[in-house]
Amino acid sequence: MSIRQAMLALLEDGPMYGYQLRAEFEQRTGSTWPLNVGQVYTTLSRLERDGLVEQVDGEGADHAADEGGHVIYRVTQAGRVEVSEWFTTPVPRTQPPRDELAIKLALAVTVSGVDVGTLIQRQRSATMAALQDYTRLKRSGRAAQPDQPEDLAWSLVLDALVFDAEAEIRWLDHCEARLRRAAVDGSGVRRGTAAPDVAAGSTTTPTTTPGSAR
Amino acid sequence: MSAPVLHLDGVTRIHGEGDTEVHALRCVSFRAHAGELVAVMGPSGSGKSTLLTLAGGLDQPTRGTVRIEGEDVGALGNAGRARMRRTSVGYVFQAFNLIPALTAVENVALPRELDGEKSRAARRLAMAALEEVGIVDLADRFPDTMSGGQQQRVAIARAVVGERRLILADEPTGALDTDTGEEILRLLRARCDAGAAGVLVTHEARHAAWADRVVFLRDGVVVDESGADPVDDLLAPEVAR
Amino acid sequence: MSRSGGWLAGWRPALKLARRDALRARGRSLLVLLMIALPVLAVSAAAVVQATADVSGIEGADRRMGAAEARVRPVGGAVFQSPDPEDYGAGGWGTEGESAGPVPSYDAVTAVLGDVRAITLREGWTEIPLGERRVSVNAREVDLRDPLAAGLFTITAGRAAAAADEAVVNDVLVERGVALGDTVTVGDRELEVVGSGVHATIRDTATVDVLPDALGPAFADYTPDVDWLVGGDAVMWSDVLALNRSGLLVTSRAVLADPPPVHEMAEQMGYDTGYGDALAIIALVVTMALLEVVLLAGPAFAVSARRQARSLALMAATGGTPRQARRVVLASGIVLGSLAALAGAVLGVVVGWALLPLAQRWSGEWFGPLDVDWRIVAVVAAFGLLSALLAAVVPAHIASRQDVVAVLAGRRGDRPPSARTPVLGVLLLVAGVALSAYGVSASTSGHWFIAIAAIVSVLGMILVVPVVVALVARLARRLPLALRYAARDAARHRTRTVPAVAAVAATVAGVVTLGIAVSSDEAQSEASYSPSLPLGAAMVNVFPSAPMNGSPEPVSAATWDEVGAAVRARVDDVEVVRGVQQQASDGSYLSVDFREPGDRTPLLEYWGGRLDGSLVVADTVPGVAGLEGEALDAAESALAAGSAVVFAQRPADADTVRVRLDSYDETGDGGSTVRRLAWPATYVDVGGDTPVVQALVPTDLAAELDHPVGTAGIYLPDPGLDEDAQTDLDEALGGITADASLYVERGYQAPDEVVVVQLVLAALGGVLMLGGTLTATFLALSDARPDLATLAAVGAAPRTRRGIAASYALVVGFVGALLGAVVGFIPGIAITWPLTYIPADQLGSSGEATGPYLDVPWLLVLGLVVALPLVTAAVVGLTARSRLPLVTRLD
Repeated sequence: MSIRQAMLALLEDGPMYGYQLRAEFEQRTGSTWPLNVGQVYTTLSRLERDGLVEQVDGEGADHAADEGGHVIYRVTQAGRVEVSEWFTTPVPRTQPPRDELAIKLALAVTVSGVDVGTLIQRQRSATMAALQDYTRLKRSGRAAQPDQPEDLAWSLVLDALVFDAEAEIRWLDHCEARLRRAAVDGSGVRRGTAAPDVAAGSTTTPTTTPGSAR
Repeated sequence: MSAPVLHLDGVTRIHGEGDTEVHALRCVSFRAHAGELVAVMGPSGSGKSTLLTLAGGLDQPTRGTVRIEGEDVGALGNAGRARMRRTSVGYVFQAFNLIPALTAVENVALPRELDGEKSRAARRLAMAALEEVGIVDLADRFPDTMSGGQQQRVAIARAVVGERRLILADEPTGALDTDTGEEILRLLRARCDAGAAGVLVTHEARHAAWADRVVFLRDGVVVDESGADPVDDLLAPEVAR
Repeated sequence: MSRSGGWLAGWRPALKLARRDALRARGRSLLVLLMIALPVLAVSAAAVVQATADVSGIEGADRRMGAAEARVRPVGGAVFQSPDPEDYGAGGWGTEGESAGPVPSYDAVTAVLGDVRAITLREGWTEIPLGERRVSVNAREVDLRDPLAAGLFTITAGRAAAAADEAVVNDVLVERGVALGDTVTVGDRELEVVGSGVHATIRDTATVDVLPDALGPAFADYTPDVDWLVGGDAVMWSDVLALNRSGLLVTSRAVLADPPPVHEMAEQMGYDTGYGDALAIIALVVTMALLEVVLLAGPAFAVSARRQARSLALMAATGGTPRQARRVVLASGIVLGSLAALAGAVLGVVVGWALLPLAQRWSGEWFGPLDVDWRIVAVVAAFGLLSALLAAVVPAHIASRQDVVAVLAGRRGDRPPSARTPVLGVLLLVAGVALSAYGVSASTSGHWFIAIAAIVSVLGMILVVPVVVALVARLARRLPLALRYAARDAARHRTRTVPAVAAVAATVAGVVTLGIAVSSDEAQSEASYSPSLPLGAAMVNVFPSAPMNGSPEPVSAATWDEVGAAVRARVDDVEVVRGVQQQASDGSYLSVDFREPGDRTPLLEYWGGRLDGSLVVADTVPGVAGLEGEALDAAESALAAGSAVVFAQRPADADTVRVRLDSYDETGDGGSTVRRLAWPATYVDVGGDTPVVQALVPTDLAAELDHPVGTAGIYLPDPGLDEDAQTDLDEALGGITADASLYVERGYQAPDEVVVVQLVLAALGGVLMLGGTLTATFLALSDARPDLATLAAVGAAPRTRRGIAASYALVVGFVGALLGAVVGFIPGIAITWPLTYIPADQLGSSGEATGPYLDVPWLLVLGLVVALPLVTAAVVGLTARSRLPLVTRLD
C-alpha cells in the first residue's frame, strides 16, 4: 500500500512539513509501520505533481524555507476530494496479497517429505507468542487507558494485530482438523497428522507476519 | 521460581471401562505458579475441562497426583477437598455460576459462609471483592436482573474472595461479547499479577494471549506450550511495507 | 387440521408426550401415583370391609330363619314395617295406634298363608354360672333337628339336643372349658351338653341352644316373644302386608331377596331418618380429602410442566396454541390418574379382602360373604382420576400462559404472583369469619354454617399462600445460609411450593379445628361432671343381680360380713352404712316420697350417692352424708332426738315431714301406696349439691316402715387407694361374690376415646404434613441440582445437601403449619358455641345457661406448629442423600 492517502489525510488536518508528517503518522499508528523521511518526501513530491498538495506560499522558492528550513505543504481542493473518497470507499479485497504462510502450507501438504502437523504446531506456537506480546502491550502503556484520540487510535491498530494473529491461529486449528479428518478418511493426503510427540517449545524460526495482509 | 501452586504430575483420567473407555487425559504434567496465568487451549474432546475439574478436586485422576500448594488433593478425602474449594481454590464457569436465589453479595460471600464465617464478616469480605471487580453497586441485586458480563464479574469476585491462591476459569468469556470478555480477562490478569495462580481454559486465542503461558492440549496430551517472550522482540525489522 | 378422529386426534400427541414424560421421570411419577392411589386404595378397602361386615338383607336370611321361608313374630295391633324390619336405618317397624291389640295366634298365619308348617324359636339373654363366675349367655329354644332350622347353628361335635335335658353350646363355651358330657345350669334347669359348634350370628359370646320349652316357664316369662319359622311357599310382599294387618311382624326371605319399590311402602315409613346428616358429613369429608389430594399431587404436575416448559415454549414459538400446551400437562394428569385410580381400586379390593380376618376379630358378629360393591369402587376410582385432573389443571393453565421468551432464554423461576388472587383470598377469609360468627348466633344447624365457613376459610387461605411465601422470602435476609436459600428458592418456584404449603396448612387447619372441638367438648364434660362421692372416697356395694326365674334375693348378712372383712383387711377407716332395702323379697320395689306438710313442691330434684336405697338408717350422722358445720350439728341433734333428717334443694323449715311409701311390682307397673306417715324432721338445705340419699332416719322411725333394713354399702372416706390397690380389692371382692363392686371417686376421667381421638388427629396431621413436605422437598431438590452443583464447586460439604433438604422441609412445614393453625382457630372457636353452649331454657329449672366451653389444646397446636415441622425437617435431613451433584461438563 502506498502512503499517499495517509499523507493527504494528515495534511487535510493542517499544513505540515515532511518530518512533521512522519512524526504525526508514527504517533497515530503507534510506530507499527515506521516510515523513513525519504519515502515521505518522495510521496509528497508525487502528490504535488498530481496537484493534490501544494507548497504553502505557492509563489516560488524564495520563501520556501521557514525557521528550520523546512518546506511546508498543504492540501489542495483536489486533494481534499481524494481524501474524502478514500475515507468513504471501503478497502477492497480483490487481489489478496501473497500470504507466505498460506503458500507454505499449500506446498507442505502437496510436496512429499514434509511433516505438516509439526509445521502447523510450531507456527501456532510462534503466532501465539506474538499474540501474547501484543496483548501485553495492550494491557500496559498508552493503549491500556486511552485518554486522547491518538491513544485510542494506537489501541485500535494494536487490536488489528491481535485479531489478525488470532485469525491465523484459528485458521491453523482449522487446517489441522481438516487434515486429521482427511487422514482418517484415507483420501489422497499421505501424512502429517499422526499423534504428535510431546514437544515443549520450538526451535525453528517462526514466520511472524504481522500486518502483512494489509 | 517458587514451588508451584498447582502441580499435576503424570495425571491420567479414564472414563468408563472396556470398549467404552475414554481417555480424557493421558499422563499430563502441568504446573501453575503464583503470579502466573496459564491458558489451556484445545479442540473439543481434548481434555481441557477434565484438567480443570481435576485441578479443582471435583474429580479424581485414575493415575498420577494433583497437588495444590503442596497438598495431595487425592489423599484429602471429600471433606478435605470441599474445604480446599472453600478456602484456596476459586472456580469460574462459562454460565450458571451464580445461585439465582441469592443476591450478588450473598453469592460472593458463599465460600466464606460455607466455611463457617459469620454473616457480617463474610459480607464485608464479599463487598471488598465486589469492589475489586468494580460492581459494588450491584451488591444487593439478584442475578436475574444482571447482564451476562455483570454476572461473570460477580463470579470472579466469588472466585477471588478471601485471598485465594488458585483461580480456575472454564471458558468464562464464552457467552460474552468481545469487549465484555476483555474486561473479564483484565480482571483475571490483575488477580494473577497480585499473586494468585490462574488456569484459564479457552478456545479463543486472543483471550489465551493474556496468559503468561499457553498450553495446547489434544487428545488428552500436551502437544505444545508457548512461553512468554519479552516485549522487545515484537517489532521485527521486516515489519512495515 | 384434519377432522378425522375428531378431538381425540388432538389429544393423541399430548397423551404420547405424557406417557413418555412419565416413564422418564420415574421418581416423580411414582410419587404422583402413590399420592392418588393410596386414598383410592384405602377407601376401596374400607368399603369392602364395611360391605362384607354388613350382613344385611338376603345375606343374613339363613342366619335369621334357617331354612324357613319367613320368620313371623306375633306382636298384636296393626303392624307396619319396612321389607327388612331389623334395618332400622330404613325405618324398622312399628304399630299403629296407642295400645297394642291382643297377640294373635298361629291361626292368623294359616289364615293368610294356608296350612303351612312352622317351628317355634324363642331367644333371650341371661347369665349362667361357669365355675366361679357368671357368664353372659344367649339362650335359645329351637329344635335344631328340624329341617326348617337348618342354618341357624352348625354342629361340629356331637349332635343336636334330642331331649329336654340336653343342650348344644357354641365354641366360646368350649374354649372356656365346657366339654361334651358336662352339665350347664340355665336358670333352674340342668342340661347335659351333647353337642357344640358355631352359632350362625354370634361370634364371641356364649350361646346355649335347647329344645323348645326345655328352659321352663321361667324363661317363657322372662322372654315372652316367640317367633315362628314358617315353611311352605315363598312369602310375598302382599302376604306380608296381609299378615301385618293381623298383628304379625314378618321377615320374609323372598321379600329380602327382592324388596318392593319404595312407593309401595307404608307412608309412615319416613326415609329421612338421619341419612341426610350422614350424607352431609360424607360430602364434607370427601371434599376435604379431594382438596388434600389435589394439593399434594399438584406440585408434581407443576414440576413436570416445568420440565417440559422448553418443549412447550418451542411449541408455542412455532405456532402451537395455548390450548395444546394445556393439553400436554392435562394428558399427564389423565395418564397418571387413570393408572393410579385403577391400581388403587384393584389393590384396594385385594387389601380389603386380606384385612377381613383382622377386622373380623374386632366384631362380635360373623361377617357375611365377601361383598364388593363395584359401584362404590368405581366411584372412588373416578374420584382418584378427578383429583389427578384437578391437580394438573393449575399447572396446565400456567404452562399455557408461560412467558415463552423467558423460557427459551433459559431463565428459571416463575412469573411474579398476580395481585388479584390474594385479594380474593382475603375476601374469602373475611367471609369465613362472618359465616362462623353467623353460625355461632344461629341456634339450630349453626354447625352447618360453621362447617361451610371452615371450607371457605381454607379456600381463602390457599389463595393467600403465594403472598405469604413471597413475604417469607423477603424476610429471609437475616437467616442462615441454608434457610435463606430455601426460603428464597421456594418463593421463586411458587407453582411447586404453594400447593405443598397449602396442603400442610389445610391439614393443620382441619386438625386444629377438630382438636379445639374435641377439647372443648371434653372441657364441658369435665365441668358438668358432678362427682358422686368426695374426691378420693370409695364405696363398696353388693347389688344382687336378677336370676332368670324371678327377682333378686337380698344380699345375705354373711356375704356382707365377708365383704366387710375383705375391705377391713386393706383399709382402716371403714364405715358400714345401713339403709332401708329398696327391694322386697317378693320382688316388689319400694319408693319413698317426702313432702313438706302443706307444700306439694318437691324437696329434691335428684339424689344418689351409690347407696342401695334412698334412706339411710342411722342414729348418728354417717360420714357418707357429707355434712359439715351447722348442718352437721343440726343433723346430729335431730337424729339424737329421734327425728329424721330430710335433705332439700330449697329452703324448708317445718318440723315434720310427710312420708308416703309406694310399692311397685317387679315389672315397674302398678304402683300403690302402702303407707303414709308423718315424722318429726329437720330439713337440711343442700343448695345445688346432690345429697347421697333423701333422708337420714333413726332406727326407731325406720322400724315404722316395716321394711327390712340392711347394709346399703360400705363407705371408705379416705382409703388412699391407687390403681393397683383398687384392682387388688376388686379381685378380692369378686372372689366373694360377682355382684360386689368397688367405686373409687377419682374425679373426672377423660374417656379413653377422647385421648385416642386426639392421638389419631395428631397422627393424621403428622402423616399428611410429612407427605406434603416430603413432596415439596423431593421436587425442590431435583429442581435445585444446578444450584447444588454450584455449591459443590464452591466447596460446600456434601452434607450441605442434607441441610438444604431439611431447610426446605422446615420452610414448607413451618409456614404451612402456622398459617393453618391461625386459620383453624376461626371455625374451631366458633364451633364451641353449638357444641358446648346450652342456653338457659334447655336446662330446665337450673335456670342459667352454661358454656360455651373453650379449651384450646395448646400442646397439640404447638406440637403441630413447632415440633412437627422440626421433626419433619430432621427426618428429611436424615434421609436425604449426602452427595452433591458434581459438575459434569462435556468437552
